[in-house]
Order: sequence, then structure tokens, then C-alpha cells
Amino acid sequence: MRNHPSRRTFVGGSLAFAFGGSSLLAPLAAHAQVDRAAQKKQMAEPVDTAKFKKAGPYTIGVAAGYMSNSWVVFCLQHVRWEASLHKDVKDVIVTDAAFNPGKQVADIEDLIAKNVSMIIYWPVDEKAIQPALEKAIAKGIPTINAGGGFTYSPGTTSNAFIDQYVLGEMVAQHFMTDLGGKGKVFAMLPIAGTTAAVDQLAALKDVLKKHPGVELLSAEHGDWNRAKAKQISENLLQRYPKIDGVYSPAGQMSMGVVEAFEEAGRAKSLVMSPGDEYNGWMKWVVKNKKGGAVTFPTRAGQEATKLGLKILAGQPVPRGLVIPSQYIAPAEAAKYAEMDKPDDWWASNLPAGFKPKA
Amino acid sequence: MAAPAAPGRHGAALAAHRRHAALRAARSAGIWGLLVLGTMLAAVLVPGFATATNLGNVVTQSAALGLVALGQTFVIAAGLIDLSVGQLLGLTVVLTCALSDGRGELLLPVALGVLALGAVVGSLHAWLVNKLAIEPLILTFGSLSILQGAIFSYTDRSVGRAPEALRWIANERLLGWPVAGALLVLTALGAHLLLRRTRFGLRLLATGDDGESARRAGVPVARIRWGAFVLSALGAVAGGLLVAGRLGTGYPNAGQGFELDAIVAAVLGGTSLAGGRASIVGTIGAVLLLGVIANVLNLLEVSAFVQTLAKGAIVVAAIIATRAPRSQVRPGAAHAPVADA
Amino acid sequence: MASRLATQALRELVSRWAILGALALLYLAAAILSPDAFLEPAYVGNVLRQAAPVAIAAIGTTLVMILGGVDLSIGAIISLSAVFCAVQMGGDAANVGPALAATLLLAAGLGAVNGMLNIASPGSSFILTLGSALAFYGLTQLYSGGTARGIVAPGFREFFNQRLGDVLPVLALAMLLIAAAMELVLRTTRFGRQIYLIGSNREAARLAGLPVGGVTFACYVISGLFAGLGGIAVLARSGVSSTFTGRGFEFDALAAIVLGGTVFSGGRGTIVGTVAGTLVLFIAFNLVNILGFNYNLQLVLKGAIIILASAAYAWLGRER
Repeated sequence: MRNHPSRRTFVGGSLAFAFGGSSLLAPLAAHAQVDRAAQKKQMAEPVDTAKFKKAGPYTIGVAAGYMSNSWVVFCLQHVRWEASLHKDVKDVIVTDAAFNPGKQVADIEDLIAKNVSMIIYWPVDEKAIQPALEKAIAKGIPTINAGGGFTYSPGTTSNAFIDQYVLGEMVAQHFMTDLGGKGKVFAMLPIAGTTAAVDQLAALKDVLKKHPGVELLSAEHGDWNRAKAKQISENLLQRYPKIDGVYSPAGQMSMGVVEAFEEAGRAKSLVMSPGDEYNGWMKWVVKNKKGGAVTFPTRAGQEATKLGLKILAGQPVPRGLVIPSQYIAPAEAAKYAEMDKPDDWWASNLPAGFKPKA
Repeated sequence: MAAPAAPGRHGAALAAHRRHAALRAARSAGIWGLLVLGTMLAAVLVPGFATATNLGNVVTQSAALGLVALGQTFVIAAGLIDLSVGQLLGLTVVLTCALSDGRGELLLPVALGVLALGAVVGSLHAWLVNKLAIEPLILTFGSLSILQGAIFSYTDRSVGRAPEALRWIANERLLGWPVAGALLVLTALGAHLLLRRTRFGLRLLATGDDGESARRAGVPVARIRWGAFVLSALGAVAGGLLVAGRLGTGYPNAGQGFELDAIVAAVLGGTSLAGGRASIVGTIGAVLLLGVIANVLNLLEVSAFVQTLAKGAIVVAAIIATRAPRSQVRPGAAHAPVADA
Repeated sequence: MASRLATQALRELVSRWAILGALALLYLAAAILSPDAFLEPAYVGNVLRQAAPVAIAAIGTTLVMILGGVDLSIGAIISLSAVFCAVQMGGDAANVGPALAATLLLAAGLGAVNGMLNIASPGSSFILTLGSALAFYGLTQLYSGGTARGIVAPGFREFFNQRLGDVLPVLALAMLLIAAAMELVLRTTRFGRQIYLIGSNREAARLAGLPVGGVTFACYVISGLFAGLGGIAVLARSGVSSTFTGRGFEFDALAAIVLGGTVFSGGRGTIVGTVAGTLVLFIAFNLVNILGFNYNLQLVLKGAIIILASAAYAWLGRER
């Protein structure tokens, strides 16, 4: 029959657009590097809490960017726990944007309409919600970013966070030690564009500069998804006949990675970097006696709540409060793993009444 | 070789048409009835609902979806469907912010540019449906994937900034009225006139009702479908401009879910997935109703998990409750015989 | 005239089995572009195992689509089934049997809800299953509390991931067996024939006395049941690490079914086609990944494949 050149051009055109577009990615990645020294100064800056000071009773608003992952569920439980320890906190209201930034904007507006005393949040996209957060501050509602990233911006009063660069650096350094300073490795990172992904990769690259014997084959994004990490690893195992180690700070993804290696029969000599204290990963570390963990504490929620209450009391707080990560050697993993709990679980000090359903 | 319609058949057809018009009016009245009732109940029962700020918020939050749903109404009325509008919206958000990067003087050219891009996408859809007879549902699902892949290949994180003027339109109020809301009302008015008072609109409804008969009656079906797809794309782009203003930054995944919400709004408002029946007024009512429900559930501190369950239950209940006696077919059935029960 | 009929018959034949040809061609291309992978049996076994959950779920939904409807809720049913099954197992191997049975019962029950809704409002399956998908996702969230509860019984995953003859994972074999069984059902049983007839012309079937409502209900139950099997397959393949495990599956299944030759208007389609369509998608995805391209190009490729395949089918079916 007749040719349909236009159809081919349409498909070809969109493929070309996509291919051409990806080459633009390089310059975008470059500007993600942050000036660490300047950031440290920003973190230490004191917050002017006088304008937020008010008397109780307080209502805590939590604008969750998403609730569909166990880390944030545990983080929220820490918020509730801390709230229960203060007599002057009468309620915790939670909204869930389900990864929709437009909805998170609407959720923040709704929390303002409900006259909450403070807003704790973790963003879908930090920049998208700044205008809404600024509206909250204009109404005297302090905003606290809880979780994995430092935001220095008029819309964010303070941060209780885990420094992803420091975490990535700790993971990379232990990884280098375990590798013996040489080998071929790849990196399994979270969702591209998140602070976690950007900082972890930056930390790895900086550490690699001091270890020229280690070659980074590829940096992949498993999106905190165990199945996706497994699929990507299976394909990498095909592409590269020799892989000595994997840099994977997120234990959830590490599980997918090791499974791919185990099924390919290449797990014996594999060196895994420390993951985090994700329970499923901890169980694997206990069984296999290697890997270890650098923690990503879910008590960030608790610290965020404490920060918020201090602000409401007019006490001084810094712009950024780092919740330190700690290294767990494989030999100590048994203290943190809960063998009778699900994989999708985090070690914590939560009292029984506040733990999520098992 | 169609025989001329017998007078009896003509009379029956006219009666059927009147019945459908009445049903459509009842359905869109139904949605507005629900909206008014719901709003009044909420005003009484939900603290914080009935303030000017909150009500204005609801309108502002719904405006983007409203524009997308208006476009979708046209394409569904024509007996087609467009699943790609969500990703087209996302592409608009990214391009608008990346290309203008906050510079006000670039707003107009960039806006015109993305509208033109939308027209091209819509035209491509129409061409593929007209020339190659691809099912619209599967075609726009394919283009959804392509657009999404293209967006994420271009950027994996927020890029650029929306110009101040766009942010103002999307968020602020003039004399107490949300500007985005006013924009939606004006667009809806234009859409209503286009659908009901122009030859294009009447032909569109005829095409959706029965493509073959319309073609035999001399309606330029291919051109009508082109118009429908372009309108759908333009609705997505316009919604995207508002979302860009609302977020202030080019978030790549901004469009996720808009296509399904737009379809739900159109159908709840009285537009039939089989084509041929549509209500602009109903679509707007449904969009506002969905916005009110989300707002009320938030104000009542209903758990987000329950909100999802509730939304699903509401959609199902509304469809069952307002189902038309005449048979409906799956969307995009422009090429399939309309004979199923 | 006779030659025109012959051409038509030939076109129908080609249209029905075109996907197999496409699969063969794609595999050939993949083997040329990346022989280390695609010529290695263990890797091919991997791809089959990756495809298994989607393929199994799509098998059930194929029946609904031959009938002329759609089922967009299978992603949600998969998610709920996977979490529910893990919770029922509770880490104890003795629980495997009851856990699987309970999960399948639940999934079939959700399918029954879809069936009843579609009998109440026939022809609106698109929007009805959209709504039920939301409701089922909400149920999953409520049931799980947001975390992927449950502990898989020891040995369960190992059983399904082990390879027979060092090549074919048990899960992949299960998929192939299920596919063969359902294809037989479609072709040889009265139920199967009724599905095709009703899908071709619902009114005529009703007038001829066929149990249209009953067959519709049964097909939705089967679609739900197979989505439950798909959830169990996901659990077996990669464990449960989220409450949204099944998200997006409904659209991948839709793509696979359409690629396989099932049309939206109903009346045509095969299980073999659906499975072949699934394999086409997964080989394409893995090829993109293995060749080192940006992961997001998979999405572009998926869309392009779908559009091209639809155009091809439409062209083949043109002069009918």
C-alpha cells in the first residue's frame, strides 16, 4: 500500500526530540552542586521567632507531599508521638498530596483556613509550594521542613533534616574501605532530581576523587522502588561482566539489587555499600554479615515538632537542625533488625501505641 | 443508499431528541443541584468553609481542571477521547517556566508558542484518527506515554520560573474575585456558545451521536474531529498555563492525573462517553463539586486514604444514579457500530 | 470477487497472528543488537519473569475486552492483593495455602463488584472501573495504613524464582501454563464462544437468548481473579515494598492486550496475542535499558509501539 511518510516522521520526530532533549540534561545537572560552606552558614542562622510567638492550645498541621512510603509513615508517627507529650497540643491534622504538587498547594491553603498553629511538611516539589508557604508565614504560621533536604527560603521557617550529602559521604567512605579502594561499581539512586539523589551522587563523586582505583560504571535511578532497582540491576549485570560493588544508600533499593545479583549467581564477591536502617535491608545484613547501614532517622518528625513548638514559644532556633546519621556495622545489625516485623519497616524508639500496624 | 426518512420516524427522532435534551438538562441541573446543596450543607456543618478566602481558594484550585475539562467535553462529545491532556499540561508547565524563566516580557510569546504546540499535537491526533482509523483511546494513551517520556528526558526536576503576571492570574483576586475563576467563567461561556450556537458545535454533536449518519448528511466529519482534538489540546495548554502560575516553577510531573479527573468531571456533568451529548454547564458544575468535596474532606480532617476511597465511591454512585436509558458505549467509539445494549 | 474474499481472509489471518510475527522480529533485532543478553537463556528467563505479573493480569482482562468492555481497576486489585497476601502469610510457611486462597477470594470479590456495577450500568465500564480503581486504592491504603505490611512466608519467593533447568523461572512457567489453559477455555468451551458472540453484537446475542448479564459478570470476576494472581506474582517476583505496587499495570495490560490484536469494539482477541504483546513490551523496555539509553526513553518507545501497532491493525482491518 501507499507509504505514510508523515507517520514515520511523527514518530521519528518525537524520538529525535527525546534524544536531543536528553543531551540538554548535562548542563541542568551541573547547577545542582551546592556551595557547602555557604549552606553551613545558612543552617546556623538564627530564626526571628518573636513574630510567631503565641499561646496554646496548639494545632499541628502536617502537609505531607506523599504518604505512600513507609519512611514518611514512621516520620508522621514520630510527630504524633511528640505531640502527645505536650499538654498544650490539642490536635494533629494531616493532609496528603499523593505526589501532586498542585494538591499540596491546595492542602497548605486548607490548613491555613483551619487556623493551624504550625505547618510541618515534606514537599513533592520544594519550589512549587513556596508561595503557599509564604502565605502561611504571613499569617504567623511557622513552617518546618521535615526530612531529607535543607531549604533556605522565605517560605520555610526552619528545617529538621538529614544531611543527604553527609549521609552519602559516610556511605561512600565505608564503601571504599570495604572495597579495598579498587573495583568497578555502579550507583543506585533515588528519584532523579530529588535532594537525596543529587546530594548522594555528589558525595560519591567527591569521595571517588580520592580513590582513583575505583571506577563508576553508571549512576541509575531506582526511585526507591525495589522492583525497579532489581530490573535495572539485572540489565547492568548483562552489560557489565565485572561488577565489584554497588553504592546504594537506600536499603529498600539495595534489596532489589542484591536479589538480582543472587539470582545471577554473582553475589558471593559482591561488596554492597551500607544502606539505611530499612528493616528488610537490616534482615539481609544480619543474614549475610556484610553491607551495614548509615541511618536515615525517621525521628526527623519528632525533631520537627520540637522545633515548631520552640518557635511558638518564642525561643531561639537555627534555620537548619541536622539530625545526625549513625553508622551501623554488619556485626551490630542484629540490634536494629526486627526479624518478626515486615520488610517495609524502620527501626525506631516509637512506643508501642504509636507504631504503625505491622 | 439510505431511503428518505418516513414522517413517523422523523417524529420519533424529534421526540427522542427532546427526551435527550430534557435528560441532559436534568443531569446538569442534578450536578448543580448537588453542588448548591453540598455547598449549603458544608457552610452550616463545616467550620471554616463559608469564608470568602476559602471559597475563593476552592475556585482558584479548580480553575485549571475546569479548563482541561472544557476541552475534554468537546472531544468526548465528538465521540472521541483524549488521554494525553495530562502530559500535555505537564509539558506546557515545563516549557512555560523553562523558556520564560520569570521574564514578564516573554510571557505572551511563550504562551502563544505553547498554544501553537497544543494545536499541532491536537492536529496530529486528528490526522492519525482520520487517516489511519486508530482508536482514539489507544492513540492518546500512546501519545501520553511519548509526551511523558519526552518531558522526563528533557528534565528530571523543576526548571525555570513562571513570570509574575502569570502567577498573579493564577493565584490572586481582583475586587475579591479570583482572577482564575473569572477566566474560567469567560472560557466556559465561550465554550457554551461554541457548542450550542454555532454550526460547528451542532455538527460536532451530530458527529458524536452517529458518525456515519453525520457523514452521509454532509457533515465534514474529518474536520470536525480535527476541531475537537485541537480544542482538547488547547484546554490542556490553557490549564497548563494556570498550573505554571500556581506552582511558579516547571515541575515535570505536574500534569499527572488531570486527564482522568477531566473525564470524570465531563461525564459527571452530563457528557456521554458515547458522544453526541454534552453539557458545558454540567462540566463546570462537576469540576466545582469535585473541588468542594476535596476541600470539605480536608477541612473535616478526613484521612487522605478515606478521601481516595470516597472519591471513587462518589464517581461510581454518580454514574449509576444518572445513567441514561439509552445505551452508552465505551469512549472513542466513533468507528464502532452504535448498536450495543 | 473470490480473490477479494481471499484477500480479506488473508488479512484477517495476518491480523490475528501479526503480533507473533512482530515478537519474532523484535527478538531477532534484540538478539542482533545485544547478543550477550538476548541469546543467553538465563536472561530471557529473566525477561519472562519480569513480564509475568503484567501478562497474568492481562489474561483475565482480555476476556473483558473481547466482551467489549475495559477493566481499569486491575492495578488497584493487584496492589491490594499483594499486601493482603503478605499479611495473611505472616512469615509462616504453613500459612501459604490459606493466604493464597483468601487473596484469590478477595480479588474475585472485587471483580464481582465490578461485574455488578457493569450490569447496573452497561457500557460505562471505562468510567465505572476508573471509579472502582480509586475506591480499591483507598481500601488498600486503609488496610495497610500506608506501609507495606506483612511478611512473605519463607520459601514462597524462592520457589517461584528458582529456575527449571537453570533457565526457566517457575513463575514464567506458571504464566505460560495459565495462558495455555485460558486460551483453551476461550476456544473450546461454550462459555468462550459466548464471550466472542456477545462481544461481536450484544443486542443480537441478547435476542438470541444468551445469558449476557451472567457472562459479563463472570468475565469481570475472572479479570479480578487474575489481577489477584498478578498481585501474588508481583509478591513472588520482587516482594512487597509499597502499597502502590500495581500502579500503572492497568495501562501496561491495556497496551499489551491491544498489541495482541484485541479490539476495543469487542468480538476479537486471543490470549496468545495478549501474552505476545506483553513480551513485545518487555523486550523493548529491556532493550532500551541494556543499550544504555535514558530510562525515560522506555516511555517514548512504549507510546510509539502502541501507536504503530494500532495503525498497523487498523490498516489490516480496513476494508471490512
